[in-house]
Order: sequence, then C-alpha cells, then structure tokens
Amino acid sequence: MSLAQKLKLYRKQLHEQNRAAQESSLNRQQQDPTLNDERQNQAIRRAATALAADLRTFEDQYVLVHSERLPLATRIGPYALGDLWQTVASWQAFGAAHPLSAKGLHAGDLLFFDTETTGLGSGSGQMIFLIGLARMTDHFLELKQYFLPGPGHEAAFYDSFLRDCTSLKHLVTFNGKAFDWPRVKTRHQFVRDQVPKLPAFGHFDLLHASRRLWKNRLESVRLQSIESKLLSMNRENDVPGKLAPFLYFQFLKHPEPGLVKGIIEHNREDVLTLVSLYIHLSNKILGKAAVDPEENYEIARWFEQIGDHVHAQTIWKTLIQKDSAFQIPAKARLAACLKRKGDYRQSLMLFESVIAAGGDEGGLISIEAAKLLEHRFHDYSRAIQYTKSAMIQIGHQQNDEKMYQYKKAACLKRLNRLNRKHAKKFS
Amino acid sequence: MIGKQTIEDLLHRLKNDQNTVHWQTIPGREAHTAPFPDDLDEHLKDALRRRGIHSLYTHQAEAYNSAMMGADLVLVTPTASGKTLCYNLPVLQTMIEQPESRALYFFPTKALAQDQKNEMADLIDAVGLPIKSHTYDGDTAGSIRQKIRQAGQIVMTNPDMLHASILPHHTKWVSLFENLRFVVIDELHTYRGVFGSHVANVIRRLKRICHYYGSNPQFICTSATIANPRAHAEALTGRKMLLIDRNGAPSVKKHFLIYNPPVTNKQLNVREDETHSVVRLAGEFLKNKIQTIVFAKSRLKVELLVSHLQKINRGRQDRATIRAYRGGYLPLERRGIEKGLRQGEIMGVVTTNALELGVDIGQLQVCILTGYPGNMASVWQQAGRAGRRAEDAVIIMVTSSNPLDQYMANHADYFFARKPESVRINPDNIMILMEHIKCAAYELPFKKGEQFGSEQVDELCDYLTDEDLLHYQRGKWYWMSDGFPANNVNLRSAAQDSFAIIDVTDRGHAKVIGEEDRFGAMTMLYEDAIYIHQGTQYHVDELDLNERKAYVRKVNVNYYTDSDLAVQLDVLAMDKHAAFDNAHIEKGYGDVSVRALPTVFKKIRFETYENIGWGKIHLPELEMHTNAAWISFDSIYLDQFGKDVFQGALVGLSHLLRHVAPLFVLCDQNDLSVVPKIKAPHNEKPSVFIYDKYPGGVGLSENLYQLMPRLLEKASDMAQTCPCESGCPSCIGFVNEGRAAKQALIRLLKERSTCH
Repeated sequence: MSLAQKLKLYRKQLHEQNRAAQESSLNRQQQDPTLNDERQNQAIRRAATALAADLRTFEDQYVLVHSERLPLATRIGPYALGDLWQTVASWQAFGAAHPLSAKGLHAGDLLFFDTETTGLGSGSGQMIFLIGLARMTDHFLELKQYFLPGPGHEAAFYDSFLRDCTSLKHLVTFNGKAFDWPRVKTRHQFVRDQVPKLPAFGHFDLLHASRRLWKNRLESVRLQSIESKLLSMNRENDVPGKLAPFLYFQFLKHPEPGLVKGIIEHNREDVLTLVSLYIHLSNKILGKAAVDPEENYEIARWFEQIGDHVHAQTIWKTLIQKDSAFQIPAKARLAACLKRKGDYRQSLMLFESVIAAGGDEGGLISIEAAKLLEHRFHDYSRAIQYTKSAMIQIGHQQNDEKMYQYKKAACLKRLNRLNRKHAKKFS
Repeated sequence: MIGKQTIEDLLHRLKNDQNTVHWQTIPGREAHTAPFPDDLDEHLKDALRRRGIHSLYTHQAEAYNSAMMGADLVLVTPTASGKTLCYNLPVLQTMIEQPESRALYFFPTKALAQDQKNEMADLIDAVGLPIKSHTYDGDTAGSIRQKIRQAGQIVMTNPDMLHASILPHHTKWVSLFENLRFVVIDELHTYRGVFGSHVANVIRRLKRICHYYGSNPQFICTSATIANPRAHAEALTGRKMLLIDRNGAPSVKKHFLIYNPPVTNKQLNVREDETHSVVRLAGEFLKNKIQTIVFAKSRLKVELLVSHLQKINRGRQDRATIRAYRGGYLPLERRGIEKGLRQGEIMGVVTTNALELGVDIGQLQVCILTGYPGNMASVWQQAGRAGRRAEDAVIIMVTSSNPLDQYMANHADYFFARKPESVRINPDNIMILMEHIKCAAYELPFKKGEQFGSEQVDELCDYLTDEDLLHYQRGKWYWMSDGFPANNVNLRSAAQDSFAIIDVTDRGHAKVIGEEDRFGAMTMLYEDAIYIHQGTQYHVDELDLNERKAYVRKVNVNYYTDSDLAVQLDVLAMDKHAAFDNAHIEKGYGDVSVRALPTVFKKIRFETYENIGWGKIHLPELEMHTNAAWISFDSIYLDQFGKDVFQGALVGLSHLLRHVAPLFVLCDQNDLSVVPKIKAPHNEKPSVFIYDKYPGGVGLSENLYQLMPRLLEKASDMAQTCPCESGCPSCIGFVNEGRAAKQALIRLLKERSTCH
C-alpha cells in the first residue's frame, strides 16, 4: 500500500494525533490555494506599503523594514527619551561597577532590542518573524522593525538586521539573555554562510533587574505589568504577545497586513518601554529617583552580592533609621557586614537588637550572636543562652526534616563545646 | 541445623529428579585470538597491556580492521565477549589520529550508557590522552551540558534523548554534527517492534541533520543473536552492513537443564504451576547462599515470585537479600539493586527481561528461567547471566503448561537446535512515520521531492500543511506551529501517555511508586484491581483517566485480579490475499480496526488459582487501526463439524496460534493479539485474526501472513503430539466441546496438510 493510500485510511487517527501537537487551539483558516510564489511576492509588496515599510531585497528574498525617528522630547511613561543621556552620564560618574552600569558606554552604543517568535519553545523549529530595535542619536531616537514576510526569507531578514547594527555594543532587553538572543543564535545558524557574523554584544537584561526589585509586588514580572503598575503607562488596544504566533500563521496563509499590524505595534511599544525602564531602573540604583524601603533593600542586597559592600552599607544605614518592614532585616544585614569588617561590638549590638525585636525566626541570628559572644567576647554564658533560644526557634520550623536534624545537631555540638568552655573558665 | 549444601550436591539431586526432562552440557570454548593490529596506536596498545590484554579476540580484530576501512558493520556477540572493545578501539584510534572527530553512542537505557561511560573513562585514563567522553541524558547536570555540546568527543546517550533533546536543538551541537565520524548503536536487537520503528525514524532524522552539516558517519552496531542481524541493522540505519559473527571469546562449561513440573491433574493434563517449581528450585540455591537470578515473563510473575521467595528468609535483613527488578521501578531503586548484586549483598534477584541487557551486575552462578522466555535470543541472553567468568554455570528452564513450553520440554533437540527468530520493524508505519516527519520538519525544512527513509514524503507534507502544522513556500515545507512535536512522541510506549501510580495508604504522604502505559493501566489498574508492586499488594481505589493517575492503597489479601477484554474487529482494507487447499482456506493481510473494551475482572486465589469472585470494569473502549493477518475457512466446515464444535476448534486454533507466532517472529506474546470470529464481518467466514497490537502495525502480522502455512503446520504438530484428550493449556486450552473440538481441529489441519 502506498503512503498516500495509508494516509487516506488513517486520516482520522492521524488528525487526533496531530491535535496534541498544537498548543493554540484557535480555529484556523485553510491556506489560500491560489497563493503561488508570484502572488506571494505581490502580497509582500502590498504589505510593505500598508505597513509603511521599505522592501529590501537579498538575492531573491525580501525583508520589510520599518524606520522611524522619534524626537528626544517624546515621552514614554514618566520619562522623555532624551533623559537617557542624563542616565548614561550619571553612570559615568558612579564610582563602582554594577551589572546595569553604562560606564564606558555612550548612549548611542545601546541597542534596545525585542523580538516576536512563532512559539515559546527553544528548539530549532521556532522562528523569529519580527525584530524591533531602537538606538539613540544626537537628535532623535531611531527605531527600526524588521518583519520576515515568510519562512523562506530569513537570509534577507538577518542580513538586513545585522548590517544595521554592527556599530552597536550593548543589548538592552527584557528576558533577552534566556529568550531572544538564544533564539537569534539558533536561527542565525541556518543562514550563517550567507549573512554577517553575530557580533559579541554586552547585555543588560532588564527582566533580572526588575525581578530583583519588584518580584514581591507584581504577580508576574512582565513588561506590561511593569508599565501599568510602576510606570503609569497604559496601552490602548494592545494585541497580547501570546497571540503573535497565531496571527503570523494567519498572515502567511492570507497576507493581509491588518493581521500583523497589531503585533508590530505591540513590539514597537515594547522596545520604547525598554528605554524608559532602563532609565527608571538606573535612576533608582544611582539614587537619582525616589525609592521605597523594599526597593532600597533589594538594591542594597544586589550591591552586596556583587561585592560592593560600600554602597550596600550606605543603604543599610539609611534603612535602619526609619521604621519599615525592612528596618529589622536591614539591621541583620548591616550586622553581618560589620562583622566581616571586624566591628564586632557594633555587629553584636545590631544582632541583639534584631533578636529583641523578634526578627530571628529561623534562629540564625541567635547563632550569629552566639558565635560573636563565644569567639570574640568569650562570654560563654550568654552564648549558651542564645544557642538555647536558637534551638527553640529551630524547633518551630520542622517542615524540612533533614535540614531540621542537621541544624539541631549543629546547635547541640555548639552547646556542648560552650558548656565545656564555660566549665573550664570557672574551674 | 543441616550444613550447607554445595552446588555439586544440588546438581546431583537434580540429576535424579524425574522432572528434569533434559540435561544438556555445553562445553566450554577456548579463545581464538589475533595479535594487536599494526596500525593501533602505541598508547592504546600500552593501555591494553596494562590491563592484562595482550591480544585481541578474532572478532575484535576483524571489527577493528573493518571499521578502520570505513565499513558500516553489525557485530553479533554473546554476553561477555568483549564487544565494547570492538567499537571503542576504532573510535579511540580515530580520535587519536584526528582529535576534532566525534562519536555518538546510543544505548537503549540510561543505565547502560552510565556503565559504558565508566568503562570508557577507565580506558581513556589508561591511554593517558585527553579524550573527552560523557553521557548526555536526563541526569546530566545543566552546568556541564554546554561543554559537552561544544567539546564532547564521545557523547553517550539514548534514543529518547537524541529524539527529544539533541536533534531538535541541533544548532547547539554544530561541532558534533559537523565532525561526526561514528554512530555506535549497542543492543541493536532491542530496537524492534514499535520502539524499533520509532528509533529507525530517529536515525533517519539524525542522518538528515548530519547531511545538512556535511558529515556522513559510519555506523557500528552490536546485537544479541537474532536470525536477521544484517537485515535488521540495514532496516534500522538505512545502510548496507558488514556482518561480523564469528565469536573468538572463550566461554565456561554450562549445564542447561529443562525442568518440567509434575502433572497434578492427569485428566486435564494440568501441571503444577511453574512458579511453584521455580520457588522450590531457587529456594534451594538461595538457602545455600548461591547467587541466583530468576527471569520471569511478566511483572506480575516477578512480584509473585519475590513475595514467595522472600518467605524463605525470616529476618527483615535477610528478606532484603532477595529483590525484584523490573521496569516501572524508579531509577534510584534499580541502581541500588545493581550495586547490591555486584557486591554480593543481594543473593537473589527476580527480574523481567530488564536484566537481559548488558547492565553490569557481575557474575551469578545460577540462572532460572520461569517458562520459555518466548524467543531464543532471550534464552541465550538470559542464560549468559550465569557463569560469566570462571566456574561452571547452571541454567534451568522451568517449563510452564503453555503449548510452546510443553513443546520445547518434549522436543529438547528441537529446542537446542533452534535458530533464533527474526526481528521486525516497520519504520513506514504511517502513525509513527508522520510523527517523525513533524519532528524532522521542525529540525530542518523539507525540500520538495526530498526522501525520508526510502520514500518521498511530499504527500505527507501536504497533509501536514492542511493540518496547519507546516507552511509551504518556495519549494520548501517549514514547521509553522507553536508546538514542539518531539514532546508528543514517546518512543517506547505503545500508548503515548503514561499513568502515575500513587500510593495513598498514608493520606498525608502520598507518593508515586511507579508508572504504567495506558494499556497497562486499563488492564492492571482498573478500580478494585489488586496491583502488586515490589511484592506488596495494593488495592486500586481510583483510576483517573483525565489526570492519568491511579490511586492505590496497601492491602493484604489472598487473591490477585485478572481482566477480560471484549474485542470488535473490522477489516478496513485488504492488501494481500491468497487461497490454498482447493480454496477451502484463504489467508489475508490488511488494515483492520480493533475496538477493545475491558469488561470484567476475576479474583483468583493465590495457592489454588480458583476463581473466587469477579467485578465489572467501567472504562471506555480503546480503539485502534492496525495491521492484521487472518485465515478464513470455508463455511462448509461449519455444517461438517457442527457450529458449537467448530467454534471450539476455532478458539483452540487461536490459542495455538498465539503461542506459535513467537516461534517465527521475535516479539512478546503481548505484541500480538489473536481473535477468533465465527463469522468475520468482511467475508462472513469463520476466521482467526492475528493483529499487531500497535496503531498502524509494526510488521509482525505482515511477516506472519507470509509464513501462514508453516504456522498452521506447527499448530497441527502441537495439537497432535499433546497427550491430552479434550484440550489442555498445553494445546488448545479449555474450550467448549473440548474433545470433539480437538479432534475437529486435528482433522481440519491434517486434511489441509495432506491435500497441499
């Protein structure tokens, strides 16, 4: 039996099997059967006109490129585009290293970058069909969008995009480290012999920064929720990004520009928001914008993690002055900081104040206090007291059986040693 | 207390046991060796010498020389014949000469890959050159994956990982695919049936990607003894293969006994259940601290045997020295058992064919087969578990009362002279092929006119375009969907979805204890079933079909459960057709629709096997399209023998054919179903259908169609030589009108053999 006959016989079973492969279950249209290559090319030309895009060619392939120049006074949420200059200048003046620092970079080196894809998967079969990017010049912000008119045009798509951004140095994205850029790398593999190499960009991923500062207040840290909750921005008639694959598939079958217009606008707004968000985050970190205690606490933790104890300590000191939910945690952080620096008396005082305020739920602070008392002040009886109270705290948290046993054993060991030392001291 | 008995004492007793119906001594064999090949790198020669190897077995030398000349080859090697050197030497030699070259090994299981990695690491250490060899599977840490992708020279993985992770992300593996020189496929014979048909397509995809990156790797395969190793390797890889099957490795002396349990009911010719005999025999060895492996065919049997064997040891600690090992256990549990066996802490293990493969469990002295395993490849693989190195080995096959076992017990010469079965796959099964066309299109677009395997697939791509999965543009089909097609394909399971088995005995601490596929779930995990796991009985409280979960609770009852299926069968298309015996019998082959409905279950008491109750099963029908072979008899026989008698004969013939079929094609009894129909819907004739139990078929019934006359001869032979009068489990089973039915069947089959 030929494959064609088998196909006929098993159509129903195969259809059921195929349903499982599709994630979006929206009703789809059949492809226009008269859509041959020539008509497709005509449709691409019409789409270019309708989308106000240039049609660039590469061998026999096309790419649609939409360009815009936005005046520096254009407001995106709370900022004007031109504010980016000030932000980059502030980074030059900032003394220390930071993952978002633009030190040594010019505002015009930054490449604000976002893509739309045919699916969220990371495999080789998902394509990027839209790249949006923005760059600063002396007099305006230049925004470009590259639209892939069909899967057979990727060489034109990547060639065009790569030729336009060779002079740039640093990507600014939202989740671009895990998503957009690996996708670019994957698809670039397919056309690597025809198009320029991928440049080795630096990368500011604003998702990571946003997560640090706002993960507790936002249900999910997405660009749209940041816009509405933190930047007081409001999109009108936005086409949700998750519809992008579906609308693009429709467009391939019926190249009506109206189908993808909304997605292109969505991408345009995403790219512009990146400019505003970068300014916003930088200003908070640089101390140029108002921060609430939680933001400040998280910024300090970030400094601490990258080894910048000077900036971290400055913030801890501010935080312990004012009454907030972060006052006590900040004390604990500062105490640890001071201990590292050898300021044991201050450190112990702060640890004790945290304990007195009921801020030692896990018993760890009491252990810290006990350590200082044992090793630095040789005050064994108070060390014993703190160890005992740590054990009570640990006893309240028995949900992780293994960890509990481990901590309990460590406490007992400490207690035994302290008792020995205590006895020796008085013998 | 009586002192310990030695293995000699026990063998002596067995010699005088009247149930020992055959005793075959297989002499040991001397090694045939060849000097190291001249071109073998000095580092490699030194490394081998340091491990006490001063020459190669002849088959190793032959494999090395052929591989270095660029041949694609398949090696047939018994257990413990040094097969790994056959591929490791040419691969390492090539790596030394050209460090940029790459090799991809794949093994049917993660455990085997792990074993091989360790062995390879030792060898590389001894060679003293920086060759990077790694496993890449679900257990590989995220932190080293990237390094392996870019710089791993030898990557050891499994077909599932290749299918769902490596191929769909080929752009991350450019250096591997650009430089791939060798693909090593170990345990080739395990890639049969559904699994093999899938794997053949995974290999098509692998070759397609290699071609895209400009490499053309050589294939080196190894297989246990099967009838058609070369043809099978060629079907799987699509390459012309060189066969190397002259084994040069030595082997120890083996005593191979056939033990036929005593008849307990003369009239019915019913024998003691083979599990009882196995428990008795294995118990003797285990009590005397002789390490023993017991093979059983089903998971159920494994569990039954373990629960009985554990009783010979009282203490908790002693019980732990006898363990079960089968699929459905969690990996950690299995690794623990393997280690226990190697280190001698575990005395006895009862297993399904899961331990047939090269998992390293060290050497065991005694191997007991609970029943004929169903194929000769398994017989010798399982037997190979005994006496791998020094002492004489003992292998006991305890035959069950099923027809094939009894036939083997009574025809030991036939058994020992038997050639292994052939292995079949059907890579062009449309249901399987279509899934891989999707995966392949996801990996690289299809060009118009492109072949996949042996056929052009434009029509299938067109179909997938209609289904909104591909998009055609400028002579190419592109994947155009937000889905990830490899996720929807499970290479191993007939049904694509597996059910989690959750123990809710302690409501607060519910835990997953194993998994079953959909078919297994519907036949073993229906509500009120008794499910046995690691010797413990569980009652199935609930089977949630939507969530694919079975909730079970520990119980202690004296029965187990067994389910019945009602089967509807329709012929959709007849592909092949022939009449024989003056047109009184016809055979056919084609596509059928099968609808199976689990109806009732029986509760069966452990010791006596009596039926002590039953219940209804409320589950939806399972429907599938598949391939079937059938024979139909002229309706005049109905009048000639009478309807009731003829029906009995037909049911009896089904019983025989079910057991005879695995003599000709390598498969489990579970891979095929046999259904008698007194009036087949397509031709209204009394018929027996044999169908592949997988959607689209895997080539078994097609093969059986060709062999149908030989199948009937074997069935006839079995019915005639069975001493019972009115049917017994060893021939036609228990059917209505047993005596007359048996006579009718013998006449029917005899008539055809005389007139043809």
